[in-house]
Amino acid sequence: MKSSALNLGPAAPALHGPRRVPVAWRALLARRETALLGVIVLVVTAVSLGAHGGFWTRVNLDGLMVTCAITAVPAAGMTLVILTGGIDASIGSMLGLVSAIGGLLFVAGWPVAAVVPVFLLAGAALGWINGLIILCGRVPPIVCTLGTLSIFRMGVFLMMGSEWITALPPGLTRFFVADHLGPLPGAAVIALVIMAALAAFLRVHRTGRRLFAIGNNEEAARLVGIPVRRLRWMTYTILGACVGLGALMRLGQSPIVQTTTGSGFELGVIAAVVLGGTELSGGRGGMFGTFLGTLVVGLVGDAIVLMHIQPFWSGVVLGSIILASVGLNEGRRARQVVS
Amino acid sequence: MSGFRSGRILILGVFALLVLGGFAVGNPTILSADNVSSMAVFAVELGIIAFGQGLVIEGGDGAIDLSVGAISGLAQILTALFITHGLPWPVGIGIGILSGAAMGGCNAAAIARFRIPPIIATLGTMFAFTGLALIASEGNTIDLTAAPARFLAAGQGSVLGVPFQILCVYLPLLGVLVLVQHRSRFGRALYLAGTNATAAWLAGIHVKRLRAATYVLSGALSGLAGVIAAARLGTATPDGVPEANLISIAIVVLGGASIFGGDGSPVGTAIATIAIAVVNYGLNYNDFNPTLQAGMMGLILVLVVLVENLVRGHLPRLIAAARNRRKMA
Repeated sequence: MKSSALNLGPAAPALHGPRRVPVAWRALLARRETALLGVIVLVVTAVSLGAHGGFWTRVNLDGLMVTCAITAVPAAGMTLVILTGGIDASIGSMLGLVSAIGGLLFVAGWPVAAVVPVFLLAGAALGWINGLIILCGRVPPIVCTLGTLSIFRMGVFLMMGSEWITALPPGLTRFFVADHLGPLPGAAVIALVIMAALAAFLRVHRTGRRLFAIGNNEEAARLVGIPVRRLRWMTYTILGACVGLGALMRLGQSPIVQTTTGSGFELGVIAAVVLGGTELSGGRGGMFGTFLGTLVVGLVGDAIVLMHIQPFWSGVVLGSIILASVGLNEGRRARQVVS
Repeated sequence: MSGFRSGRILILGVFALLVLGGFAVGNPTILSADNVSSMAVFAVELGIIAFGQGLVIEGGDGAIDLSVGAISGLAQILTALFITHGLPWPVGIGIGILSGAAMGGCNAAAIARFRIPPIIATLGTMFAFTGLALIASEGNTIDLTAAPARFLAAGQGSVLGVPFQILCVYLPLLGVLVLVQHRSRFGRALYLAGTNATAAWLAGIHVKRLRAATYVLSGALSGLAGVIAAARLGTATPDGVPEANLISIAIVVLGGASIFGGDGSPVGTAIATIAIAVVNYGLNYNDFNPTLQAGMMGLILVLVVLVENLVRGHLPRLIAAARNRRKMA
């Protein structure tokens, strides 16, 4: 009885592939995280050989970790947004606007302790505005945030003109870049803590689980009583606060605010999240993938500098990696559905 | 609902006239023949790209093309490289348009064959094409002032007193697109696919192939726009037509298309192009910074969609609720 119930007939071998490879291994190999680890090993190997020892230096590794951290914190927030089926293309200008607001307050002589919360709150407020337009105004996320991308940038321009702000407190650099906990600079520690916290939130907290439900089937989520609109709105606000923190870290790394601060930043963050396997249609993905995706984005940028490749190639490489990794995964899933 | 909304077109026309009037009060010289003509030639490039974006968005299912600006840049650079290396100018123009179509083909393959969501696919190709344009041009602009006069005429010449690209490119294109959208199998099938993909599939329409075709067309049109821009300015830049993504989406939405597909018309897109071009050129003429211009475009885009959603969704519901309350009382 039992054996006949398990016998799936002639189609079974095709379904499970060659019998020799256990299914668990195949599942592991098929995971996005495995592919990303492969890419990371490949890039690290290439850059170790090609950069004449430039990679494994204290300075480079510290710089790389801080750069990754600056991408990672907003990417963690972006993961929540994309999980629920949204997207935010405005965070580059948001980072610029938050930096401008905070920078002007620093110049006005506010103490650091008072300005730091302003960064987080201003970011959260801008994210909240995006949420307002998207969820109350029912504007599609990509349309709204492409609009606010240029609107926030206009805000930066109106505040800054063509001025630069360089009078920023040195404490930021000390705290985020110079101070270390073990081998990790401050920014990296904070990024890891935030990612771990949000990962736990997604895995065990009721609200976190609900975000997956919303991404999988918004209508069903609404029907079982999940406050869809409020939670999606919350994800944009959290992302905004994360961008505020990212802006603060960026000022630690390069203490200057100008009109172009943060332009193009959104691309790296979205790339990291999408590379990490969080799906734009919502409901699938997670923080560990985003962590690895951030590392890939950071490593590719670092490798291009260290190996003296023309910086123009970074876009081509990153674009190709995104297309290849998402395409391979989607293609594989399509084949599975067909068979 | 297929597209041609006379009400919307009237509103846009009035809007454009009001804006133009406002600029003219502040600075009457904007109405001189020279300025109106350069406003029009500037609108042509945006308008051609918006036609392509319109086709893509019409296909539905969240389809959007974020690589139009990058395509116009790379096509422009390729055309310029071929012409400066001594190839005949028609070949150069052909290269521009065909390479645009090929880049659109990359988008189509990524989306239809490999099932990558349109936003991600076109974001990835945007990275890639911009990078390739920078590599091919080594990060510089390419001077075309020494190019054959015939080539430059594509952007600077005039026929019967009207700029060449309006009379010989834009208006014929508009005519063809109107016929295609309202009279051809392709156009009708695209409306259906955008309105209800399942119904279209059940009716025997190859939805995927249709959507793939819109990306190829969008790429070819972006390439064409890039070539015209290069001929007009006498230089090719790796950036192509600046802010093309934002502005083309704004034009399409302003022209009455639904961002969810299955709606919109080339005539609406054309009128919206005029409105946007008036705003953009007027700001430019009054020495507004490009960042501010882009900001105004973003503001217009968000406000238009917002107001439209409120009018379509919330207001009728509010009115109905008020009526119910009156009945109850």
